[in-house]
Amino acid sequence: MTDAAHLEAAVAAGRPRRARPPGPLVWGGAILGLSLFLAAAPSLVAPYDPLAFDYGAILQPPSPAHPFGTDNFGRDVLSRVIHAYRIDMGIAVFATVVPFVLGTLVGAVVGYAGGLAETVFGRVVDAVITFPFLVLVIAIVSVLGPGLINMYIAVSLVGWVFYARIVASEVKVQKRLDYAEAGRAMGYTHARIVLRHLLPNAITPAIVYWMTDMALAILLGSSLGYLGLGAQPPAAEWGVQIAEGKNFMATAWWISVFPGAAIVVTGLGFSLLGDGLAALLRVRR
Amino acid sequence: MSTPEYLARRLLQLVPTLIAILVVVFALVRLLPGDPASAILGDRALDADVERINREYGFDRPIPVQFGIFVRQVLTGDLGDSTSLKVPVAQLIAERLPITMLLTLMAALISVALAVPLAFVAALCRDRLADGMIRGAFQVGLSMPVFYLGLILLTVFGARLGWFPVGGDGDGLLDLLYHLVLPAITLALSLAAVLMRNLRAAIIDVVDADYVTFARSKGLRGSLVLLRHVLRNALISTVALFGLSIGTLLGGAVVTETVFAIPGAGRLMVDSITGRDYPVVQGLTLALAVLVSLTFLLTDLLQAWLDPRIAR
Repeated sequence: MTDAAHLEAAVAAGRPRRARPPGPLVWGGAILGLSLFLAAAPSLVAPYDPLAFDYGAILQPPSPAHPFGTDNFGRDVLSRVIHAYRIDMGIAVFATVVPFVLGTLVGAVVGYAGGLAETVFGRVVDAVITFPFLVLVIAIVSVLGPGLINMYIAVSLVGWVFYARIVASEVKVQKRLDYAEAGRAMGYTHARIVLRHLLPNAITPAIVYWMTDMALAILLGSSLGYLGLGAQPPAAEWGVQIAEGKNFMATAWWISVFPGAAIVVTGLGFSLLGDGLAALLRVRR
Repeated sequence: MSTPEYLARRLLQLVPTLIAILVVVFALVRLLPGDPASAILGDRALDADVERINREYGFDRPIPVQFGIFVRQVLTGDLGDSTSLKVPVAQLIAERLPITMLLTLMAALISVALAVPLAFVAALCRDRLADGMIRGAFQVGLSMPVFYLGLILLTVFGARLGWFPVGGDGDGLLDLLYHLVLPAITLALSLAAVLMRNLRAAIIDVVDADYVTFARSKGLRGSLVLLRHVLRNALISTVALFGLSIGTLLGGAVVTETVFAIPGAGRLMVDSITGRDYPVVQGLTLALAVLVSLTFLLTDLLQAWLDPRIAR
């Protein structure tokens, strides 16, 4: 901890402060920890094979043997929901990690260089934000063909812009501060100043946005799965599962309702973690 | 700068944006692995057909020439023909896009009607029970996928209770509006959550501002202060956010129309992808992007009206 942070903490401790429990951070962390565990080892928890047909137990309502019921092929819905964590948490990570890394680097360069780079980047941003994100991703997927890998490519082609915009504006502020000036006076290279000194100070808002973006990626991934453009059946993916159950909503609601609940809970986990991090790191959003 | 000058400058800014949109949409089909003609015709295409398509679409010409042809065609309203429906793409878009626009407009109105009063309640009861409940509910709304919410509303209020039709676009304008109620609510919820969150924070910022205290101290009625001073100023950033969200709303419309079987532009888009109908995908992407850039223009003007300093 730096001296300034110590001082601030001491001052804060000295004045009567309303107790603010780190609730969001704890809850978000707990939900995501559990989600990651399920994604890593679904077979340890899931009671059945997610793909195994059982024609003796078709469209069974929730019961002790099948807590989330079974679908029209007799597959256990709970096991499918659990196995889907692997694909959907994978989407959250793989659809956002390239945009995060690439966008952060581009944003740092653009923010530090300014001038022409900034102007050109501004035009790119203007162009990208005019396209409805989902429409552009769907259009790219339609050209590349349905499937998860093509979805990651499509999202990465567009998504880096948002990170770059956040980091560029932050680096622009940081590079005018004294410590950046000092780095230049010491004769450090531009690369060293940007990567070692500016970026660590400018990256926080991008990390907080990353949390939101992972929740958005799950929404996007499951939407594409629902439309038949993302994960392909019979794979266990929440969007695919909801699509499979949509014609049984009136008679066997459990096929679609439980996967949807998993999406909502996971999304909540990411937004709670994002809120908690924002509060902890004092990011205004 | 005067208002007409701001309007002129803002219109001029539209030109590079439109050029960029054209470049992206043009590049889209050129992303195709292999040559576009075989992609359009499928794997078992005959060489003669591939050659014919190449000539028809100009794929055998140099890229800049192709772009020139593309721009000229778009400017004359010629977006090519749908490969599966055999009708001009422009005509398809003219038929289907108004339904999507109506749906999006209804959703926008519903989300504003939900967000504004709830944001006031949440901001004025800050950190109390009502605030917590409203924020909690909207947090859930934010994590709810559009297609899931739509499916649930459709099952409960359409199939089970029979209050609303379970899909389609009905007969005539009034019936269409009735058919769009559930889809519009579905689409509105997540935008309402985003706007609510932003507006709540903005109201909290504004409520303690000096000019609001001054207005109160002049003895102005509480509701008048809220409307004339607090809401107007809190709305400025929310209008910007609303403009930026319009793309998300249109994207959501694609999914919503599929869930509710509404024959709008979104449904057309999904159908065209399944049918590998690239001219339609391209035309719709173009049309939706232009629609968004026009919405940006509108919200910028609205912001300038709310805060004349912006136009300066």
